[in-house]
Amino acid sequence: MTQATAKAKTETKTKTKAEVKRSVTINPGMICQPIGAMQAVLGVHGAISLVHGSQGCAAYPMRMFNRHFQEPVEIALSSLGEDAAVFGGADNLVKGVHALVARRQPELIAVLTTCLSETIGDDVNGILRKIDLPTTLVPVHTPSYIGSHVTGYDNAVKALVTHLAEQTGPNSKINIPVGLLNPGDIRELKNMLAAMRVKAIILTDISETLDAPLILPRPWFPDGGTTLSEIADTANSIGSIAMCKHAGGGAAKYLANKHKVPMISGSCPIGVANTDAFLGNVSHLSGRPIPDELRKERGRLIDAMIDVQFKIAQKRVAIHADPDVASGMARFVHELGMEPAIVATGTESKEFVADVQAVASQTGHDIEIISGCDLYELHEAVKAVGVDLLMGNSQAKYIGDDEKIAFARIGFPVYDRVGYQRRAIIGYNGGINLMDLITNSILEHGDAS
Amino acid sequence: MPLTLLECDKPIPEREKHTYIKKSGECIVPMCNVQTTPGDLTERGCTYAGCMGVVGGPVKDVIHLVHGPIGCAFYTWGGGRRQNLSDNTEFHRKYCFSTSMQEANIIFGGEQKLHKAILEAYERFPNVNGVFVYATCVIGLIGDDINNVCKQASKEIGVPVIPFSCEGFRGVSQSLGHHIANDVIFERIVGTKEPDEVTPYDINIIGDYNIQGDLWIIAPLFEAMGLRILCTFTGNASIDDLAMAHRAKLNVMHCQRSTPYICQLMEEKYELPYMPVSLFGVEQTSKALRDVAAFFGLGDKAEEVIESEVAKILPEIEYYKEQLRGKRVFIYQGAPRAWHWIKLMEELGMEVVGAATTFGHTDDYEKIIERIGDGALVIDNPNSVELREILIGYKPDLFISGLKEKFLAYKLGVPFVNGHSYERGPYAVYSGFLKFAKDIHTTINHPAWKLIEGRA
Repeated sequence: MTQATAKAKTETKTKTKAEVKRSVTINPGMICQPIGAMQAVLGVHGAISLVHGSQGCAAYPMRMFNRHFQEPVEIALSSLGEDAAVFGGADNLVKGVHALVARRQPELIAVLTTCLSETIGDDVNGILRKIDLPTTLVPVHTPSYIGSHVTGYDNAVKALVTHLAEQTGPNSKINIPVGLLNPGDIRELKNMLAAMRVKAIILTDISETLDAPLILPRPWFPDGGTTLSEIADTANSIGSIAMCKHAGGGAAKYLANKHKVPMISGSCPIGVANTDAFLGNVSHLSGRPIPDELRKERGRLIDAMIDVQFKIAQKRVAIHADPDVASGMARFVHELGMEPAIVATGTESKEFVADVQAVASQTGHDIEIISGCDLYELHEAVKAVGVDLLMGNSQAKYIGDDEKIAFARIGFPVYDRVGYQRRAIIGYNGGINLMDLITNSILEHGDAS
Repeated sequence: MPLTLLECDKPIPEREKHTYIKKSGECIVPMCNVQTTPGDLTERGCTYAGCMGVVGGPVKDVIHLVHGPIGCAFYTWGGGRRQNLSDNTEFHRKYCFSTSMQEANIIFGGEQKLHKAILEAYERFPNVNGVFVYATCVIGLIGDDINNVCKQASKEIGVPVIPFSCEGFRGVSQSLGHHIANDVIFERIVGTKEPDEVTPYDINIIGDYNIQGDLWIIAPLFEAMGLRILCTFTGNASIDDLAMAHRAKLNVMHCQRSTPYICQLMEEKYELPYMPVSLFGVEQTSKALRDVAAFFGLGDKAEEVIESEVAKILPEIEYYKEQLRGKRVFIYQGAPRAWHWIKLMEELGMEVVGAATTFGHTDDYEKIIERIGDGALVIDNPNSVELREILIGYKPDLFISGLKEKFLAYKLGVPFVNGHSYERGPYAVYSGFLKFAKDIHTTINHPAWKLIEGRA
């Protein structure tokens, strides 16, 4: 491994979108901002997103959520038509907010802009300021032509705290912006925090809202979710730890700047070292020790890693996921004795490149890092570099099929296998789940070929 | 009792005009095909969805390039949503193309990027026979001249590059997108090629998108009667199929919302008549086969096909009829299936207690109201709050709708079958009818419903 370390420092390749220089995107590795913002809002109790755009801006993301989470999702729409495109969408927005309040009585409406409303030039903040209603109205700027769904999530969580956070008095809680993860992840996070007896404000909590039990009668809004008072209270917390710095990190930064809430920015707690670091940060902020329960979970993960070593060691892996998940995954794959050969994300980000470069130099692997990567580019890289396992969302399946390599589904959306959204990938238990997924994918591929 | 106002619509009384309770002898059609009320929790899609997602997208041998920010392309990628199948799986629906417009492109215009994108896409997939370019919302606003770019690019690459101005905000729903796609395909493609040979028995099947392979069970029935299918519009169609469609002797029109436009245009220009049909259920399918056969003087052939097909499904269908008799169903579809299926449900002995469409026009509602029983609810473009009230209030034994409503139904404890992209379909004609009946029976009788806490 020492030999490799020296090599990695000189040979790690990095590609960015600018270098690819293609005007056509083929098989996108990202979605646009509004859907990310919607996921953030879906984790707020009693909140609804109102998209200031045309019909598809609500219908398409709903369908994507339905497929991934297997849950009903409500998204409201200001229903911009040709008139609005010419004369502006203010009337639609005002009417829309009033109708939504009258009909659905939400506690909060997040008004999400789109490429359409941003290009028309509607002053959404100004329009909302003039509306006098008891419902909290939060404008979120999510133009589809900037960034990705990851940016949209970040912008939404930041808008929520910007709008609601208020200093009232210390609360001894930790703010944890979670990022674009799954209900299973949030439940695992809560388990870890409960084991440490640490109180936290989770931004935002989709563990119940996007994984609701089937018990009748169905409540008017799904149970759970982060409450508005919790969001308000984030200004009083002892610190913030963003699990995904690209998706939620913006809120932590805002709270640090505006309300002097200390922030710690680390890696997404995927795998052993990243989870150790995360729990270390929680312990550091809260002053609570890491209990035996979590030490045992850690031990069980490592025990399992040793058990499967000959099944997966030295396998070369290509990873495509959102930036923080992909960089976290790269380190875990190394811990499993595998080789992260390609680590790619659809969202263009220098921080992502730096994060994966750090993994490369610390672990000694040659990693081809691709930031702003569509799946066509990923496919080309897989062909050129040669890997045994591809990890990516359901859309990436065809690459695994074409190249006849093992394929493990991670990220968003995963719709052609059940259960991904229910199981954690974070924490020690999430590590066990992931390791099982990886190992079984490789074993099943071996059986089939 | 004519128009009615649901409890949840009291704050939004304009919804009353969209909500009708059927009474015989009345001639009322709920308001439809108008802009969705702002703030609505709508289930509707946009013009782009109708143009690219429904009509254009199924064409199997062209690059479908979406000109706009990345989301619009991402959402229509893959067969997962509508599952319109084709036999070109190595390319069609596997690849998704977008210009992924960035802020600078919005400010300075996207024509250059579009032009480059067309060339680059074609360079990588030189076996395609054309490029369809779809303009999304923002393109209409910044005023890119996509017609000109496509014309230029077409000269350079030597295959048709066809622009569709289907910006999402243009229409009130998917419906305008269907119309735009029809017009463009008619103007730019139909009639541009001649078939090697024509026969007196050539037909097109218009308005079927091969959901889960519907066309692959529909086509053999017509072929068994001695007909030849020249073009299927647009399920599993190649651009050449569309180009030669004008030489058929009859357009058999299935989806009567998304395709009457092209049928009428072809009738005017090529004197090619069209025949509306329903290819769902025994009764309607048999009538369709008889009508088409009669047109060609092949009446006996139709009877042979019908007899043999009905015999294949009869014993099992009888079982399901017995099991499903008296069950109450609420149907919410895009438009025509809401009325295609009223008869089908009746064939199964079920009662249709309500029908709704996402983007139906007056003629769709007239057909629904003509077919549905007294006292049934007919509602236009219902939203999630109204659906919730209907499902709780009417307590149907079955709700047939699409993916966006599926999990709402489940969460309310209502058995559900996806009528848009099907469950274990395809559902067309005879063999599909049996599959449909089986899926309906499966969900209504699923043992887990009884285990739900709080279910009355």
